[in-house]
Amino acid sequence: MARKADYKRFENLGIQILGVSSNLTFSQQTFAESLKLPYPLLSDFPEAKVMRSYGVFNDKMMLANRAFFLIDPQGIIRKKWIVPNGETTVVYSDTLLRDIQEVMGKR
Amino acid sequence: MTPGLPAVLRAWSLVGLAARLLACGLLVVGLTETGRADQAALAPLLKTLDLRDYTARTAPPKFSGSTLDARPLSLAECRGSVIILNFWASWCLECRPEMPVLERLQREFSSRGLVVIGVNTRETKEAARRYAKELGLTFPLVLDRDGKINALYGVVGLPTTFVIGRDGRAIGFAVGPREWESASARALIAALLAESAPPLAAQ
Repeated sequence: MARKADYKRFENLGIQILGVSSNLTFSQQTFAESLKLPYPLLSDFPEAKVMRSYGVFNDKMMLANRAFFLIDPQGIIRKKWIVPNGETTVVYSDTLLRDIQEVMGKR
Repeated sequence: MTPGLPAVLRAWSLVGLAARLLACGLLVVGLTETGRADQAALAPLLKTLDLRDYTARTAPPKFSGSTLDARPLSLAECRGSVIILNFWASWCLECRPEMPVLERLQREFSSRGLVVIGVNTRETKEAARRYAKELGLTFPLVLDRDGKINALYGVVGLPTTFVIGRDGRAIGFAVGPREWESASARALIAALLAESAPPLAAQ
């Protein structure tokens, strides 16, 4: 997901990627710089409001599930990918792009 | 530089030169007109120490807490000092060898403006006190029973250490233990101590 070459493929579909984490921008900044992330990271600290409202915040772990939401220009969620608690499954760009193209094709 | 030498070898030879200069104590980091150390000169020291740097000198999150001897301590009151902020726990094996080193640094450099602060992660005062006594630690140890300070700093593993300049801004951080008494660590501390703190009005 973080790789630049992959980012271009999302960009080509007209998709803006936004990253959300429960860290302060203080720690996000070095993370983003170290990976040279080409997209913005948003801080959802300390209340995890965004994560809660998307239903992916785990209060016990104080962490969000790894999750992706596809939002259309009207602000409607068209697709979501949520990795269950405790799993470390990687959601690959290829999977996301294939699903996104499928969703877009239906519209 | 030998023409045609592979880039990797060239890079290595630069590192070697820096290491030799450090060994002779010759490396002096100059100050810019702002009173800050030259970022380009700090970079190799940060790299040798394997510190992730804050190129934009981001302001670290403010916190206040209570030390082992029940004194209130806030980051703000240390403004003007160079701060080594170390997150630790008594069960953390890799933290243990670092603590006496940090104690020695505090003793050596405190008169010049270095403050070492240890943040104990989610332990009781008794556990932290036992540990401090065993290792003979005299620098301030702040208790973070509920992990709030850890969360502010996004600490995910121990030890994690942040280096903060006299201007109250973060210079770099390390996840995992580091050689805090090495020549490059000393050179970094000296360079940061040589910076001038900004006047209070500018803050």
